[in-house]
Amino acid sequence: MSERFGLRVMFIVFLLVSPGKASVFAQDQCLACHELIEDNHAALFKRDIHHTKGLSCADCHGGDASKEDMETAMDPKAGFIGIPQGDRISETCAKCHSNAATMVKQYDSILPLDQMEHLQTSVHWDLSTSGKEHIVQCTSCHGAHGIVPKANRNSPVHPLNIPATCAKCHSNATFMRDYNPSLPVDQLEKYKTSVHGKRNEGGDPKAAECASCHGSHEILAANDVRSRVYPTNLPLTCSHCHSDAAYMRGYGIASDQYEQFAKSVHGKALLEKKDLGAPACNDCHGNHGAVPPGVESVSKVCGTCHALNAELFATSPHKKAFDSRKLPECETCHGNHEIVAATDELLGVKGRAVCAWCHKEDSNIKGYYTARTMRALTDSLIAAEDSAIMLVAEAEQKGMEIGEAKFKLREIRQARLETRTKVHSFNLKQFQEVADGGFTDASAVTKQATEAIDQYYFRRWGLLVASLIITTLAVSLFVYIRRIENEQAVNR
Amino acid sequence: MENAEQPLSAQSKRDFLKFILGGSLLAWIASVVYPLVAYLKPPKQAEVEVTSVKVGKLQDIEKDSGQIVKFGSKPVILVRAADGKLAAFGATCTHLDCTVQFRKDLGVIWCACHNGKYDLTGRNIAGPPPRPLDPLRVIVRGEEVFISKLT
Amino acid sequence: MKNKLRGIFHWIDERVNLRDLIEFMGKKYVPIHEHSVWYYFGGVSLFLFIIQVVTGILLLLYYKGSEELAFESINFIMSKVQFGWLIRSIHSWAANLFILAAIIHMFSVYFTRAYRKPREITWLTGMAMLFLGMGFGFSGYLLPWNELAFFATKVGTDIAGVVPLIGKPIMILMRGGDDVTGATLSRMFGFHVAIFPGLFAVFLGVHLLLVQRQGMSEPLGYEDSPETQRTMPFFPNFLLRDLLLWLLVLNVIAVLAVLFPWELGQKADLFAPAPSGIKPEWYFLFMFQSLKYIPAQVLFVDGEVLGILLFGLAGLLWTLVPFWDRKSAAGKKSRWTTYAGLFVVLYIILFTILGWLA
Repeated sequence: MSERFGLRVMFIVFLLVSPGKASVFAQDQCLACHELIEDNHAALFKRDIHHTKGLSCADCHGGDASKEDMETAMDPKAGFIGIPQGDRISETCAKCHSNAATMVKQYDSILPLDQMEHLQTSVHWDLSTSGKEHIVQCTSCHGAHGIVPKANRNSPVHPLNIPATCAKCHSNATFMRDYNPSLPVDQLEKYKTSVHGKRNEGGDPKAAECASCHGSHEILAANDVRSRVYPTNLPLTCSHCHSDAAYMRGYGIASDQYEQFAKSVHGKALLEKKDLGAPACNDCHGNHGAVPPGVESVSKVCGTCHALNAELFATSPHKKAFDSRKLPECETCHGNHEIVAATDELLGVKGRAVCAWCHKEDSNIKGYYTARTMRALTDSLIAAEDSAIMLVAEAEQKGMEIGEAKFKLREIRQARLETRTKVHSFNLKQFQEVADGGFTDASAVTKQATEAIDQYYFRRWGLLVASLIITTLAVSLFVYIRRIENEQAVNR
Repeated sequence: MENAEQPLSAQSKRDFLKFILGGSLLAWIASVVYPLVAYLKPPKQAEVEVTSVKVGKLQDIEKDSGQIVKFGSKPVILVRAADGKLAAFGATCTHLDCTVQFRKDLGVIWCACHNGKYDLTGRNIAGPPPRPLDPLRVIVRGEEVFISKLT
Repeated sequence: MKNKLRGIFHWIDERVNLRDLIEFMGKKYVPIHEHSVWYYFGGVSLFLFIIQVVTGILLLLYYKGSEELAFESINFIMSKVQFGWLIRSIHSWAANLFILAAIIHMFSVYFTRAYRKPREITWLTGMAMLFLGMGFGFSGYLLPWNELAFFATKVGTDIAGVVPLIGKPIMILMRGGDDVTGATLSRMFGFHVAIFPGLFAVFLGVHLLLVQRQGMSEPLGYEDSPETQRTMPFFPNFLLRDLLLWLLVLNVIAVLAVLFPWELGQKADLFAPAPSGIKPEWYFLFMFQSLKYIPAQVLFVDGEVLGILLFGLAGLLWTLVPFWDRKSAAGKKSRWTTYAGLFVVLYIILFTILGWLA
């Protein structure tokens, strides 16, 4: 009450000392008065794009901006609503921003008209803890007074400001706990360590910030299949910039990662088979802290999924050799974005085998010999398995019971797959141990299957012999009966 | 009488018939009996080769006690002497294949069938057993006690 | 050698009087006529039964009649035991051939009126053996404990359970409980290897004794034409022919067993959904199929109940044919008996085929 009274006194004083300002009153009495009382909101609003476009305080706050008298201007009967609360905020914005007539016809705007619609379907439009309003209103990100176009460096949604804007809530552990306790709050910290973050901090508006990947009004939870950062959508989201050669010009990196990834075993699994276990870009590069893995850490990164291979590699002689030569670990043999399904062709010293890149017959004889022997073992294990499969199939096709051998086929396969892992020990002894297990199983299966096939022929030959014996017996018995009966006839 | 009047060729024909009849009868009997006998022969059962078994925790094995442990399809006796030493032997008595047991009162491994006795190193010390029990290896790995074959 | 054999013969002869038996066999004659061929089917049935006994005993050496082990033990017999596959295949094939031979034997006896006085008891014991044979088949079907057998047994015992009043207790008796479980397997095993063989042996003994005692039946009108009467000594002529035929049957079984080994299928799973194509053994098929055609309700009576009662009644009438077929008993031709028999044969053939195709 006393404040109101104070304002009124100031107002009267103001009227008395500056009669020349009467023309301002005719336009926007609210602003004039609030400026006079050094209301910061008024000062901010003066720079606001909405002010530039001719909007008045009353357009958002209601009331009658033409009335000098505060009582009548801010009379609820004249539509004065004061500070919009809760969802009223966004509704107030949407009144114009979702209205084509106002935006396009009146203000000649090219802004999209569906921002509110998007916001309402986004994860931010969940009910707040109070249950009376939704979490995020327009003003949460854009501010209220002093709104400027996002291209303006001062806008809170300018690319260089977005990280800080989002972090207002997302780095606030206390706040976030109320809504999603499991969501990390260190995204900004990580982002600052990323290549994107560093560039953003250095003033490069082209570097990706939060909205580049997550979207703006339409942000969805990362585990929502429609989300732009959902694993199956993520590669395309990244490629939005990284595959744009023109956009990436000047950064000194290639722009064909997506193409290569899409062709790779990971890309096929993720994009074609929709296998969420397959890595998307972020699984190797990190998401908020996205950087290319360092040379030494490649095997760790790959090893998060390919654990056994990484472990074997780490203890293998290659670890030291690669690191000292600055060769990226897994990548040297397998490639990075275009990783194709590893075949046995990679192993050995001939054709497309990668070992021979370093291990030459004349210079690096030990490795050469190991690679050649491993490949030979692999080839013969495959041959042994194939022949075992064929034999089992033949025995089965002949109707022989061969369940046990068939079951054992799995063990050969297991041994073969295990040798492929064991390759990464680059130790012939370890490799051979597993391979020998496979050979033992293969010969056991081969033996059983061969026995079954032999048994098949044995049964048929046995039947033939038995039939011959029975036929002979039957025929001679028949002749014998005839003879007896002839004799009986003669005797009679 | 009539046989004598038959021509010789008919006679030999008859003998031939009897030969065929008898021969094929024998062959037939063989072809029936052979599968039957083969069938009766029990097939070799692939026995799972056991090289070591876990007995349990060391603290659960009392001192001055013995227990029978299943080792594949054969029994094994694990004895723990009063001083805490562990030893394991095949529990099959070397006399007539009974299963031996630990006698706390006598402090020996004892066979109930014919009062055979072995000391705690498996040596046959009294009664009919002709030779010591087959020794096995006891391995204590951390808390766990394992019995394994001598290799 | 010959003397020694003769010595053994004498030794036995002195004690059990073998000579009488030989004399009896020597005096026994088998009539020869246009229907003589049917005489052989009794012998073939007997031979097949002997095969069943022998192979059955052999299977018993390895079979384990429990829910957990039945399937595995038969798998073991078929894959591990030498010639186990052969024994099991023969047992399965000969079982079916036995039922077939017995059915042919039964119909031949029916149409030649061989059941007429004084052979009523032979007929009755024969029918009892036929029903027992079906019981053998039904109980033996479950023993491998495979999927099809499991569900066929379920359906089969279910049908028995529909009969008013006595059905439910019979079903529980057959299943050894409310449902088909491991208990049913033990029970069927018991029926198959102990109860049925015991009963069968009694009937078979009486049956064979009567056949030997009364000799072969002669068709109606055979006695009226003494000039065409021809006979064949039972020993050795008929017996050797019998043996010859048995040899041929044995060969047929061997061929079937080797070239078309009996499948074992999938192990039964009590909680698995029923597979498609559950069919009973072929000799139950005509009844099974008929029940499908009977409407659900016939004059306030449950269709299935009606069907089962009708089949029961028909079976009873058929079994009692020596007592209602007065004309044949009096040595006269009875056309209506023939018509009834023909109807039954055609009905069974037709519905078996329908069931087979279904």
